[in-house]
Amino acid sequence: MGNLDLQNLTRGAKLRIGILILALVLPFLPLVDNYVLHIVILIYLYMILSLGLNIVPGFNGLLDLGYVGFYGIGAYTSGLLTVHFGLSYWLIIPLAFINGAIWGILLGAPTLRLTGDYFAIVTFGFSELVVLFLTNEIWLTRGPLGLPGIEPISIDLTLFGGPKWEFVGELPYYYLAIIMVLATVFVMNRIQNSRLGRAWFAIRDDEVAAVSCGINLLRYKVIAFAISAAFGAMGGSFFAKWVTFLSPDMFKFWESFLILCMIVLGGMGNIWGVMIGAVVLVSLSEVLREILPLFGLPAEVRFLAFGLIMVLMMRYRPAGLMPIPAVAAQMKAGRVKRKKVPPTVGLKK
Amino acid sequence: MKNRKSFLFLGLILAVALVFGVTTGATAGTIRIGVASPFTGDLASYGDNVKAGVNLKLKEINDAGGINGQKVEIVWGDDLCAPKEAGTVGSKFAADKTIVAVIGHLCSSATLAAMPIYVRAGLPTLSPTSTNPTIGDVGKGWFFRNCYTDDFQGKYLASNVVPKLLGKKKVAIFYENNDYAIGLKNSFVAGAKEGGITVTGAEAYVAKTTDFTPQLTKLLVNKPETIFLCGYHPEGALIAGQSRKLGFKGPLFGADGIDNIDYIKIGGKAANNTYCTVPFLAASAGPAGKKFAARFKKAFGRDVDWMSANAYDCMGILAQVIAKTGPDRKKIRDGLAAINSPAKGYKGITGLTYFDKKGNCSKPAFVKMVKNGKFVPAVKAK
Amino acid sequence: MRRNSWVPAPFHTYFGWALFLQQLINGLTIGGIYAMIAVGYTMIYGVIQLINFAHGEIYMLGAFFAVTFITLLGLPFYVAFFLSMACCAVCGVFLDILAYRPLRKSPRLAALITAIGMSIFLQNLAMIIWGSRAKPFPHDALPEYFEKTAVTFGGVHLSWFHLFIFGITIIMMIGLNLIIKKTKWGKAMRAVAQNQTMAALAGINVNRVISYTFALAGALGGAAGIMVGAYYNSLYPTMGYVAGVKAFAAAVLGGIGSVPGAMLGGVVLGVAEALGAGYLSSLYRDGISYAVMIIVIILIPAGLFGKVLKETKKSM
Repeated sequence: MGNLDLQNLTRGAKLRIGILILALVLPFLPLVDNYVLHIVILIYLYMILSLGLNIVPGFNGLLDLGYVGFYGIGAYTSGLLTVHFGLSYWLIIPLAFINGAIWGILLGAPTLRLTGDYFAIVTFGFSELVVLFLTNEIWLTRGPLGLPGIEPISIDLTLFGGPKWEFVGELPYYYLAIIMVLATVFVMNRIQNSRLGRAWFAIRDDEVAAVSCGINLLRYKVIAFAISAAFGAMGGSFFAKWVTFLSPDMFKFWESFLILCMIVLGGMGNIWGVMIGAVVLVSLSEVLREILPLFGLPAEVRFLAFGLIMVLMMRYRPAGLMPIPAVAAQMKAGRVKRKKVPPTVGLKK
Repeated sequence: MKNRKSFLFLGLILAVALVFGVTTGATAGTIRIGVASPFTGDLASYGDNVKAGVNLKLKEINDAGGINGQKVEIVWGDDLCAPKEAGTVGSKFAADKTIVAVIGHLCSSATLAAMPIYVRAGLPTLSPTSTNPTIGDVGKGWFFRNCYTDDFQGKYLASNVVPKLLGKKKVAIFYENNDYAIGLKNSFVAGAKEGGITVTGAEAYVAKTTDFTPQLTKLLVNKPETIFLCGYHPEGALIAGQSRKLGFKGPLFGADGIDNIDYIKIGGKAANNTYCTVPFLAASAGPAGKKFAARFKKAFGRDVDWMSANAYDCMGILAQVIAKTGPDRKKIRDGLAAINSPAKGYKGITGLTYFDKKGNCSKPAFVKMVKNGKFVPAVKAK
Repeated sequence: MRRNSWVPAPFHTYFGWALFLQQLINGLTIGGIYAMIAVGYTMIYGVIQLINFAHGEIYMLGAFFAVTFITLLGLPFYVAFFLSMACCAVCGVFLDILAYRPLRKSPRLAALITAIGMSIFLQNLAMIIWGSRAKPFPHDALPEYFEKTAVTFGGVHLSWFHLFIFGITIIMMIGLNLIIKKTKWGKAMRAVAQNQTMAALAGINVNRVISYTFALAGALGGAAGIMVGAYYNSLYPTMGYVAGVKAFAAAVLGGIGSVPGAMLGGVVLGVAEALGAGYLSSLYRDGISYAVMIIVIILIPAGLFGKVLKETKKSM
């Protein structure tokens, strides 16, 4: 929100309120059945995940390729706590959040001092190791057999002598998802406008200058990474209770890339842009999934479109559909047209 | 700029809604049955088999005027033999109230993933190929199958096939890390003592592994006489080839997952001398079975396999039940559950099918082998 | 099996020489393959400081091209082999010109995302063209004697196929070293790797040298792909993904930017993987590569032979 000037503020705010109202009444519109709700909940979930990932590349300028690892950790935390201990979801949310943050710190502390490329690779390796661990440690996670029968979310007031209301069908999850998205956006907004956020932007824009302003690079980077991981884990915890079935192959690298695409497409660093990116890509994925078989192509091929979109975006609009001026300037600054160095005749020996 | 983008977003939502509305619409007056299997991906050849069997019976039914005058329409769901996709397909089938029954899924792990959804929605499911024993419990009365379970298959391999047919005593096991293979391996090991078999070693692998040489080397140290390919045909074929390269000359054997023409295609010469148990073998089937095999060969140009045969019978069973109960999910389930004794059993090309309380049925197993690049009924190994 | 009297008898089967040597051979085979892919990564990183995520896909394309040439055009194995290598070289150059060159001066993040995007694009393109199912390598095309055992000693089997792979790997490694050290193109590559601006000032056509690097990397990667496809008898569009990551781990292990390092790293990683899969747990065999990669990057970023490349562009 920091990049809107006062004139646009009212218009933008009106638009957002309008969209919120649309979202609230969506389940009651015609043509909207459980399947559509399922997809929209998926969009909300990816919004939360995108907002979480946005912290690292968008606010801090580092490439995190292993985001799906935290998503998976959160999901399995939630699933296992439910299956083995029957914990209520409202307890699980903070636990998953903390677990994600812990792993974020564990992974981040030794690696965030690395340069961008190496950091990206290490995070990638981490997420692959998480998947391997989830697949092979059958005693803990049941591995490829999957973790079925996770109890749905319920509001249990029996301790206070009240009823127990279990989430049945998509509708309760829908509204819970909206609440979670709103909460995440709220938090992101506050962080963005806080001292923490400003320190991050300083790091993103110029590390050397940030250090000379007295910012402890490592500490702020680790905090960013931990918060990002925590939100990823939170998203994962919701996912587990929603689909009630987990299996390690749901957390492959492809998910990390997909979420990365969303924030790149929407505009890295821009909260609203990132959410739009989530909407566009999930919708595109589902639309393609329906259309492609009509052309005789397997549905997976829709991923080809994503790869192509990413390449084209980087080429022509690297800052995304709703760019943040600072990020756009950085991306543009790099692409100064290089004058062709006139080649001397062949290569002299 | 912002307004353009939000219209884009709204437009996309509407497009999505329209697409879903369009594709889930049904032609009035047809009976719709969902069929879930992997139709793309590595195990698509299994899905092709199910499709072939279902289509053959579908044509028969519709040519004869349909069920009680209503034509039957199939809705295909591609589950990639993956639990996650199975869940998506399951949700779609469950949400579509015009679908009254499901034939599927093919892979045990997919069925296990989708069953809770079908139970919640009250959608009867009849699987032609899922052999994992635990599905009966998860199914809570909505699941039926017309193939045997791995409890039976594993023990049959251990007590019959290996000692009597192959005449071997030392077995090395290669199993995939999934529901189907782990269940099968466990029941094999449980039956091993009875058959006087020693298991010299067991190695696990994940799907899509291509390099088995380190594990094979490890297993071959203990000089097994035969190797159990406890998994699906893609990996089985590779294990066969690589074991020959490492100098292993003994016979190989597997279960229903190996029975697929691609096993021979991928394995080449190495696939020879492989035995596998199957629920259906044209050569040993009764006259109805043999007629079916001939029709199948004429229609699809290849030899019939057990998945097609079972899928054909599934379609037949459903048609018979729906003719009596009408297209209602609960009534169809009750109708299936009523087939609970040999007297009421369904006489299909795969033999007599009737279900117990958990929806399981008992069927005999047959053995086939690969000889000279072709599947033939098994003969005793010399 | 040679008896080592100083080793207690029960250990013989498990730690016996025959088993160890056979696993070693398995490891060297796969290690040579990793080495060939790894040098591709390291050369490209050397000249343009980009992790070419799509390199694994060139490896995959090599295998598929070869199979297509054999089955559709009926070409004999060796002809298909070299033709496929040539095609992969061309693909590498196209990859550079179309995807990476326009972003030459862009921030790292953009180039990395493009690389991943191209990788995914190529994987799915292959799925459309050749189908997503695993394909076998056409058996009849391979020379007859490949299956036969060439050497046996003490329970260890070396087939002619093994010898073929070792042979090609060693020849190509030696060839690559010669190219880099002795030819003018090699000198130009080393110059560009050291400092692009200075190399341009010295009169080197940097763009062309970079294209040449991509061509070389592509050819080697393609050759690796064909050999893997033929030996393990399985080709599928996503085969480049895992092999690519492991080869990258090998390049990192050897020191990214160093060609001899990549070769050594590949062999070491291959042997570690085979021994790990054989003696420890085969389920974590891929994990060995990832773990090695992470540990090396954190503890010794320079790898075995390399120098830590100074961050010349902004970290984003």
